[in-house]
Amino acid sequence: MKIEIELFGASRDFSDQNTLKLEVNENSTIKDIKKKILDYLDKNFSGNENFKKIVNSSAFCSKNNNIISDNYKITKNEKIAIIPPIGGG
Amino acid sequence: MLHTKIINSKDNKLSISKAENFIASSEYGASIFFTGTVRIQNNNQIVTGITYDSHDEMVIKSFKEIYNETEHNLNIKDKAVFIEHAKGYLNIGEISIIIAVACKHRDEAYILSRYIIEEIKKRSPIWKKEHYNNNESAWLKGNPIIHEKN
Repeated sequence: MKIEIELFGASRDFSDQNTLKLEVNENSTIKDIKKKILDYLDKNFSGNENFKKIVNSSAFCSKNNNIISDNYKITKNEKIAIIPPIGGG
Repeated sequence: MLHTKIINSKDNKLSISKAENFIASSEYGASIFFTGTVRIQNNNQIVTGITYDSHDEMVIKSFKEIYNETEHNLNIKDKAVFIEHAKGYLNIGEISIIIAVACKHRDEAYILSRYIIEEIKKRSPIWKKEHYNNNESAWLKGNPIIHEKN
């Protein structure tokens, strides 16, 4: 199934688009999605370690604007967001 | 009483007078205005500007949550709070955030103002990309957002 990940902050460098579109298995969890993104970075950015660190230290957010855990199951066509470490003000 | 907004720098600038108007009330004897501005130096590099990125809906949600919990956590019931944060490119000296609070007394106004900015730093999904005088730029590292139980 297709899912879309909105990019924010440092993760915007992962693509020249605002989102990453990934094909994942049904019942995939956030943990699986993280692995998919790491695979994508391996393929497209030769495994850029800084990018991988960003993914590993990021949270994810549902379409309802809640932070979701690693066990959260993504539904078909769901749009989630990656939330890298923050620092406003 | 709460006002929250993300201001896109392409459309507008943050304005202290707007904050002043919002919190003005004869009920309150103490007002604090906190502003964050873009400074010229960070980590021994000359900064020429900052691009702010924001997950707008989550940011506004976090501002509301922070405001709502001050009644219980700080025991401050009567208050006016104005929070605006910039998004997009800002030059040196431009205002990135305004937190204006008004309370009956100064003790609670100082506590409230400090609490809000510290919680925003911890919880509101906002990111900074610094631009330097050598034409390079970099996202600041930041802190992982607090995970809520799902």
